[in-house]
Amino acid sequence: MPPNSMKRHKSKRIAIFNHKGGVGKTTLTINIAAALARLGKRVLLLDSDPQCNLTSYLVDPDVVDDMLDSSETPKGRTVWTAVRPVAEGTADVKVVEPIETSISRLFLIPGDIALSKYEQDLHTSWGECFQRRVRGFRGVSALSFLANSVSAAYEIDFVFYDSGPNIGPLNRSILLDCDFFAVPASCDGFSVQALKTLGRTLYEWVRDWSTVMNLAPDDIYLLRGRPTFVGHIIQRFREYAEQPATSYRAFIPRIERGITSDVVNVLRELDKSLAPLSSTQYKLGQIKDFGRLAPQAQLQGVPIWKVGNANESDNAWEVFKALAEKIIERTNGN
Amino acid sequence: MATKAQKKLIEELVRHYRERIPEFKTFASVLRTQILGSPMLRKHIRFIRVRIKEPDHLRDKLYRKLKEATDKRKKFSYSKKNLFVKINDLAGLRIIHLHTQQIIPVRDGLRTLFDEERYRVVAGPTARIWDEEYKRFFKDAGIATKTGKTLYTSVHYVLKPNRKTPITCELQVRTLLEEVWGEVDHELNYPHESDILACREQLAALARATWSCNRLIDAIYRTKADADQRRGMDS
Repeated sequence: MPPNSMKRHKSKRIAIFNHKGGVGKTTLTINIAAALARLGKRVLLLDSDPQCNLTSYLVDPDVVDDMLDSSETPKGRTVWTAVRPVAEGTADVKVVEPIETSISRLFLIPGDIALSKYEQDLHTSWGECFQRRVRGFRGVSALSFLANSVSAAYEIDFVFYDSGPNIGPLNRSILLDCDFFAVPASCDGFSVQALKTLGRTLYEWVRDWSTVMNLAPDDIYLLRGRPTFVGHIIQRFREYAEQPATSYRAFIPRIERGITSDVVNVLRELDKSLAPLSSTQYKLGQIKDFGRLAPQAQLQGVPIWKVGNANESDNAWEVFKALAEKIIERTNGN
Repeated sequence: MATKAQKKLIEELVRHYRERIPEFKTFASVLRTQILGSPMLRKHIRFIRVRIKEPDHLRDKLYRKLKEATDKRKKFSYSKKNLFVKINDLAGLRIIHLHTQQIIPVRDGLRTLFDEERYRVVAGPTARIWDEEYKRFFKDAGIATKTGKTLYTSVHYVLKPNRKTPITCELQVRTLLEEVWGEVDHELNYPHESDILACREQLAALARATWSCNRLIDAIYRTKADADQRRGMDS
């Protein structure tokens, strides 16, 4: 099927996104995705961060090295293998087969450092979209096209993009392809500050892409352009007697206020359906500091509930199960 | 006299248009770039003018339409849903060429461009023309003709970017001398028709004068083309 006439698959595409680094995007993405898989959903992780942290989490370092070395060969199967023909203008997206991870129903398209080469061209592609150029649309929607093709072939229910900590053109294409996004925030002043740029940037992306979509020629495969906000996840705070410790507790209302004023209200200026819930409903979850469990899980390439003692494991599973169930509920019917 | 509800509706329509102005601007400017980038077209074009309707002028127009509807005891049928379908000149692009025969290669160049760039032609080409000799010329060129109430002349197209989006861009193609008359007419009669008889009379006379010059330019180019052809046959 020619790419231009491909229909969008029904899988829900989600990004756990914040351009501030160190808020636990990758860890959250893996654990939420794994929880969804454990609940019976078929989940695709698309590592679209050129730093490949998500891939390194799930795949042995030697295997990662091999994959990166062979990404430009016929054996290649990273995200760069897929988008390289588009970046180099030689052909359409090469649909690669995802890796079946050790977690059942969880698939991975590995990241690649070379993806930054694709990101450079995205500036030009974006401009070409405003000029209604097919080449531009092909450029900005390359990752979306890949997610779409793999979703159809593997009957995927959820796609998670993992993104780097910036508001560059790659993340713009990713967010504009997403049906939903959640914002992770940590308990510090920078996290609160970052919400301002986050909301405003998303506003501009959605507004500009709406112009592009309205002027685009017929029968072009387009990014969806409507990332709906499903909520925020506050994380990495320490607990004392099952309550956030005082120093962290002070930040929670500030984050919540920031989410309302800088993300929800800003998106609603553009279109109410981009943030459809009432302001008290956006708390998706609070993830406490799992202490030694998080690095242990990362080392073993497994979800957090797979490490620690039975009690710790049960607690971790309950947290992520609740998050996954909320995501299922909030992404239904869109 | 507009009712409160009608005034509110007109203000809503103007606001709706104001919000979409960036789209109209982008549409017109992309089309301009594509036309100037077309080797088939650019050699025939003197210049292109792009115009986006001022929101205040849309408001005036809607009040005029409201008055017309009231006078005829008809319903004022404009809504947010049909505004961009009913009003097609919110974004306008004018291609100016030198002599009338150039409309043939311009028409062909535009047809190719619209196909390649996947525009939808929702109206046109239609030539507004009052001169009988030229009506025949346009008909022979496969361009429909229309005689308006004024002495305005131009070939019109209305384009859409795709099936779904309601916004349109009006494209006018005319000669430099048609543009001269059109500009004076616009200054004098837009947005409200002049009530000075002398000006209206002089404008009618100017239409004939510019049209004669236009005819003379056409004659010069026809003569030149004929001479070139003969010279080619001789050698």
